[in-house]
Amino acid sequence: MTKDISVQLNGKLQTVQENQSILEVLRGTEEEVPNVCYHPSLGAIETCDTCIVEVNGEMTRACSTTMNSGDKIKTAAPHVQEAQVIAMDRILYNHELYCTVCDYNNGTCEIHNAVKDMKINHQSIPFEAKPSEVDNSGAFYRYDPDQCILCGRCVEACQDVQVTETLTIDWERERPRVIWDNDVPINESSCVNCGHCSTVCPCNAMMEKGMVGEAGYMTGIQEDTLRPMIEITKSVETGYGSILALSDMEEKMRDNRIEKTKTVCTYCGVGCSFDIWTKGRDILKVEPQVEAPANGISTCVKGKFGWDFVNSEERLRKPLIREGDKFREAEWDEALDLIAEKMTAIKDEHSQDALGFISSSKCTNEDSYLMQKLGRAVMGTNNIDNCSRYCQTPATMGLFRTVGHGGDAGSIKDIEMSELVIVVGSNTSESHPVLATRVKRANKLHNQKLIVADMRKHEMAERSDLFLHPNSGTDLVWISAVTKYMIDQGWADQNFIKEWVNGEAEFIESLEPYTLEYAEEVTGLSQEQLIQTAEMIRDAKTTCVLWAMGVTQHIAGSDTSTAISNLLLATGNYGKPGTGAYPLRGHNNVQGASDFGSMPDRFPGYELVTDDEVREKYERVWGVDLPREVGLNNHEMVDAIHEGKLKGIYLKGEDMGIVDSNLNYVQTAFEKLDFFVVQDPFLSKTAEFADVVLPASPSLEKDGTFTNTERRIQRLYKTLEPYADSKPDWQIIMEVANRLGANWSYDHPSEIMDEAASLAPIFAGVSYDRLENYESLQWPVDKDGRDSPLLFKDGFPFPDGKARFYPVSYTEPITYDEEFDLHVNNGRLLEHFHEGNMTYRNEGLKEKTPSTFVEVSPQLAEDRGLSDGTLVRLTSPYGSIKIKCIVTDRVTGNELYVPMNDSGDAAVNFLTSSYADKDTDTPAYKELRVKMEILEEKGESPLPRINHRYGNPQPQIGVQVEKKWQRSDYTFPGELVTKEGEPRG
Amino acid sequence: MAKPITHIDKKELTEEEQRQQELEELQETLLENKEAITKTVELLGNLEKQGILNLLNGLVSEGDQVLRVLVQNLDKPENTQAIRNGLLMMSTLGLVNMKELEPILLKVNAGIERVGENADTDESTGYLDMVRALKDPEVNRAVTLTLNFLKGMGEEKTDHQQNVDRTPDSNV
Repeated sequence: MTKDISVQLNGKLQTVQENQSILEVLRGTEEEVPNVCYHPSLGAIETCDTCIVEVNGEMTRACSTTMNSGDKIKTAAPHVQEAQVIAMDRILYNHELYCTVCDYNNGTCEIHNAVKDMKINHQSIPFEAKPSEVDNSGAFYRYDPDQCILCGRCVEACQDVQVTETLTIDWERERPRVIWDNDVPINESSCVNCGHCSTVCPCNAMMEKGMVGEAGYMTGIQEDTLRPMIEITKSVETGYGSILALSDMEEKMRDNRIEKTKTVCTYCGVGCSFDIWTKGRDILKVEPQVEAPANGISTCVKGKFGWDFVNSEERLRKPLIREGDKFREAEWDEALDLIAEKMTAIKDEHSQDALGFISSSKCTNEDSYLMQKLGRAVMGTNNIDNCSRYCQTPATMGLFRTVGHGGDAGSIKDIEMSELVIVVGSNTSESHPVLATRVKRANKLHNQKLIVADMRKHEMAERSDLFLHPNSGTDLVWISAVTKYMIDQGWADQNFIKEWVNGEAEFIESLEPYTLEYAEEVTGLSQEQLIQTAEMIRDAKTTCVLWAMGVTQHIAGSDTSTAISNLLLATGNYGKPGTGAYPLRGHNNVQGASDFGSMPDRFPGYELVTDDEVREKYERVWGVDLPREVGLNNHEMVDAIHEGKLKGIYLKGEDMGIVDSNLNYVQTAFEKLDFFVVQDPFLSKTAEFADVVLPASPSLEKDGTFTNTERRIQRLYKTLEPYADSKPDWQIIMEVANRLGANWSYDHPSEIMDEAASLAPIFAGVSYDRLENYESLQWPVDKDGRDSPLLFKDGFPFPDGKARFYPVSYTEPITYDEEFDLHVNNGRLLEHFHEGNMTYRNEGLKEKTPSTFVEVSPQLAEDRGLSDGTLVRLTSPYGSIKIKCIVTDRVTGNELYVPMNDSGDAAVNFLTSSYADKDTDTPAYKELRVKMEILEEKGESPLPRINHRYGNPQPQIGVQVEKKWQRSDYTFPGELVTKEGEPRG
Repeated sequence: MAKPITHIDKKELTEEEQRQQELEELQETLLENKEAITKTVELLGNLEKQGILNLLNGLVSEGDQVLRVLVQNLDKPENTQAIRNGLLMMSTLGLVNMKELEPILLKVNAGIERVGENADTDESTGYLDMVRALKDPEVNRAVTLTLNFLKGMGEEKTDHQQNVDRTPDSNV
């Protein structure tokens, strides 16, 4: 609890909260002092000195001084203002004011605003250029040292928010500047282009390239004209007053052509939201907002800069109809008529269950809701699924078994505040980059401990306090052994178990085999490592476990997820802030696609289709009879095609023909279909097999909601009009349904959400009004709008309110013949997304990372004579790929890593098998062995030297302002002024 | 068997169709903005009559060149001084408070009239005459007014920070 204290502010008594900085208290009030380097998400940086105030007779910075009871604070006395002006003068010595012709003249320039607020009319120290050029080397943003005021916001963000640790300010040189790594150009550094620096820059020094020359009315002028214009502006200035007035006018004019629209990112499941600035169809920049609930000011390179695909020439313009060996562009009416005719024919000739519907985790909740409604209510089948079947369904299963809700137990904030984070089978900093920054930051600055269990020594592993490298597919064993050890040692949370968990005795019995010796033998981890893990969990008041595909994409993915949840229950790590299970959802709307009913056994909100009462509710509202039997999932649909039972598929936004495992099997299934409809913005690999392809609009071109990994429902607003003749998915599905006689009449996705909220109890209080702008709701949401950021505070959603220990046993991974002597791990890279439909359409990303590759260990390279660029063929029992090598110690021994970013010869799923998680049919992508043959010994490296992985980060905490203060030419402005009444000198 | 295909036969509009479509769009825009268009055409007609259209055409078509010549010429000390003076004059005029100034101007007028009436006087004024003159309420009012003016002129009165030029004390 914070206490109220009273202080004397400019002679007036005032009550404020304890422990607040003076600047925090003053911001937004009439007595706000100037401030330039302070940023609410970065805190006090203490570089600009413009916020100087007098406290009890001492001059000090308001941003870093907390108030104490009885303090006497002066913010506007002449000598205080004089000190502030000295600080501002120093800034203007480093920054040329040419606001009217500056792309950053958008109302948020801290320098412009401070000059205006301080009524500085004249620059007493003339601007002087720095002796370095503009760095335009990168594809995404540029740095202009001449405009840089050395506030250090970018360095703080890079070092301590994003924690890539590329940027520093070199305080040693005569005219300091920001440098990358050990002073290399941006494009050759370890910079991952997350965009934090350009987001927090208070002026135009660090700027998104999309803005340069585009934002202003006069900023596109050629340099040789612009320079004299700036000179004229400066030489005619009679005071900044008139210049600022002019630039303010120009800024207001910009509103006429620049739109700022809130959207939610289309890439991973973190659910970053931000404003996107557009001029016509041009995207100028992505501007994250402090109030964005999941990400605040953070983004990764894809969210910040990866939107070029929206304007790609390869977007589908019209519906396509297969005719012989080519597609023909057609009008909507023709395509829709054909779909209705063919689907009706299949239903009449075979049965409704000869049709399958596949929804997408890229689409909105509303799109997904309508897709399952189309399958169930219009065609009468439960054959409906979505791509979370490929990734996270096992995690959902593990949570349903133990705690009852299939979603993250808390919020990203809980992960941030936890004392111990355990990451299992997740390359978090590349797959969920913004979420990873919170862990990296807490680990770097706030003493949070980090355990990483993975096959690869990726960035999170490098940063961990304890890195575990178990044998592939043995996570269940070490997790169970740690659980057993903790229970045996009396380190379990007995009070929690007694109050909240059923089935303890049976569970303890099931752990019997998992001794440390057994675990050591199976997992390859030492007993010391296991004990250390147990001790770290014991010593932490709160623990979160984060896991992803490294756990779920195994034949026992559900069981391992269950074991994780059991461990958390045994140690009392549920229902408290900073605790819980976090299966990190892979796509923007993996969570929502299942939440809104695109599952063969569940309606929206996870109610079972086999539950008569639930089904009757839906029958009443939809006015139709609904099928009682559980339908086919994705995996079973492919089998059913091969068996001749499934004849037609309607698939949206899903490149199943490249992301499903055992591609040869999947692609031959597509060839056997009688009728195949694919809805996508592009002619994807899957769409190539279609009979009708419908042009869909991606997220930027529609309204709707996404649900992120935290169960957080967020609104996206239409930023651009649909491209050419493309349409939002919900509209297309409605038109298909209406051709089939449905008679739906939704005018806006909000009406679809209202319908879902009226049916599914966990969404009872969800409405678009409650989701305005950056408002969000984490389900379950009560009718009165109360949501649930942290689950299980008051018990678990089972009849008696208690969780359940769910005993599981170890299933050995798939075995291969000895000739397949190399293990293949596969997954994401930071800079590309899946098959690359979106990210390979971005020149900057392509330049940095032109293709996929296979990572081989230095040992294997030596054994087999491999080097960067060696072309090899990898062959599994199911297929083969051709791919180039990169030698790196991120992998060891006979373990390989293949990023999945290819849709051609190097698509890793030509190798993977049809084996799947025994409980959910999620493909066991990660249980894969191959043999290798060398095709070309020498070749160009697939990863250019300018890739960030070859950079040299320079870790340090913050901008190290002390080094600035120690400079011989620095004196604190507060010391240069004399107090009222005292003689000068 | 549905083999994968990548070839798309684009539905190309014939030139005639394209033209027709664009004409329709244009027609719609014209009708939607009937009044504005009519007035614009009128304006254009007037501009043409005055020969201004030709001038503007030249300016706009060589925009970058013209702008460059313009700014290069403007960027000379005598020109920037002129603009600067202009701006200063404007801001000074803007500061003048006519309500307060009006009675004073009337008084100045009266003074000038009086001077005009006694333009060629041979009278000379001695020191004592001046002291005596101060007793004359008319003269006294004028002197008080003048003294107040001088006082106001000497007073520092600005809400802008007037900081003195300095050399850089710090590079950071």
